[in-house]
Amino acid sequence: MRRLLSHRTMTATHPLAYCAGVIATLALLGGCAPNYYVQRGACPVPCEEAPKSYVVLLPSPDGTVGEVVVKGDKGEKSLIKAGQAASLDGLALQVDDKQIKEDFGKAMAALPTIPVRFVLSFASGITLSAESAALLPKIVAEAKARAAVDVTVTGHTDTLQSAEYNEQLGLRRANRVAELLREQGLKANSLTIESHGERNLLVPTPDNTYKPKNRRVEISVR
Amino acid sequence: MLRVAVIVYLFLWGNAMADELPIGHVKNVSGDAFVTTGGKKTQAAVGSPIHQGSLLETGKKSSMGVIFKDETVMSFGADTVFTVDEYAYAPADKKFKFGSKLAKGSLNYVSGAIEKLKPDAVTVGTPTGVIGVRGTQFLLKVEK
Repeated sequence: MRRLLSHRTMTATHPLAYCAGVIATLALLGGCAPNYYVQRGACPVPCEEAPKSYVVLLPSPDGTVGEVVVKGDKGEKSLIKAGQAASLDGLALQVDDKQIKEDFGKAMAALPTIPVRFVLSFASGITLSAESAALLPKIVAEAKARAAVDVTVTGHTDTLQSAEYNEQLGLRRANRVAELLREQGLKANSLTIESHGERNLLVPTPDNTYKPKNRRVEISVR
Repeated sequence: MLRVAVIVYLFLWGNAMADELPIGHVKNVSGDAFVTTGGKKTQAAVGSPIHQGSLLETGKKSSMGVIFKDETVMSFGADTVFTVDEYAYAPADKKFKFGSKLAKGSLNYVSGAIEKLKPDAVTVGTPTGVIGVRGTQFLLKVEK
């Protein structure tokens, strides 16, 4: 028995040497570099199998691509290009479309309709501009197209008048727009009406500044 | 004395719950999904509210889609456990924070307004690390 074992040890040197050669070749080809994982099942020799926990960067629905930074115990990896992936311990990773579909098909199919936001302007006081009034049916239609839609109507002002006055004016604007939306048939799971007064300027200005662009109501339909 | 303490506690708890508006809502459910808030577990349905501290779960062969107040959109695949630890979206007070955790399962994430207004305000924790998010869409899978 002992003899057989030692014999095995002897003959094993040759395949081991061969294996080391393959690993070296793959490393040269960039197939099995030490600082990132290869795709699951794509590793022909015993190198580290790709992890099952990972993140993949995708473009936003508007086409832009942001950034995801993964911090794990093996490092920190920043993803800035669509399709880039990293394991959750912080190493770069290659994942093909088939694997993504298998792992995320169900979640991706459940993604709700992406929210929309509208900015309405005012002709004077709490009277909407003609262009903004014409947008109301579109806002109601966007709401109707969503399941259990939540709507927030937020009133804003410029910095003329006092902060207290502007809080009230913002609320009057928001209330007026909400009333118009209801008249147009808006039905929502939740409708939130609020005022940011002069605390959330679209265009930054000093106090006591006339700025029509800041006199607005923003509507979030989600 | 004990009775008084209990009554005071209930009074405070009731107030805290009433004051806190939902931070998001469930938009779709397929199969079994649950929302647990304040220790109370309920079957998720279209329109179910989500609060800071809520635990979201999906069962086998199930999925769920949710949208938060700042327009962050998320959907979960099967066997997922996700918690919203911290959430603040108050643009007029410049308060922005979205701290969450994916304990297991799969997530499709689409950024909302928070990280546009305050970069570094959004993190998703995992059992092995943390992910920082800046204005994008991503897929995240945690398998033990």
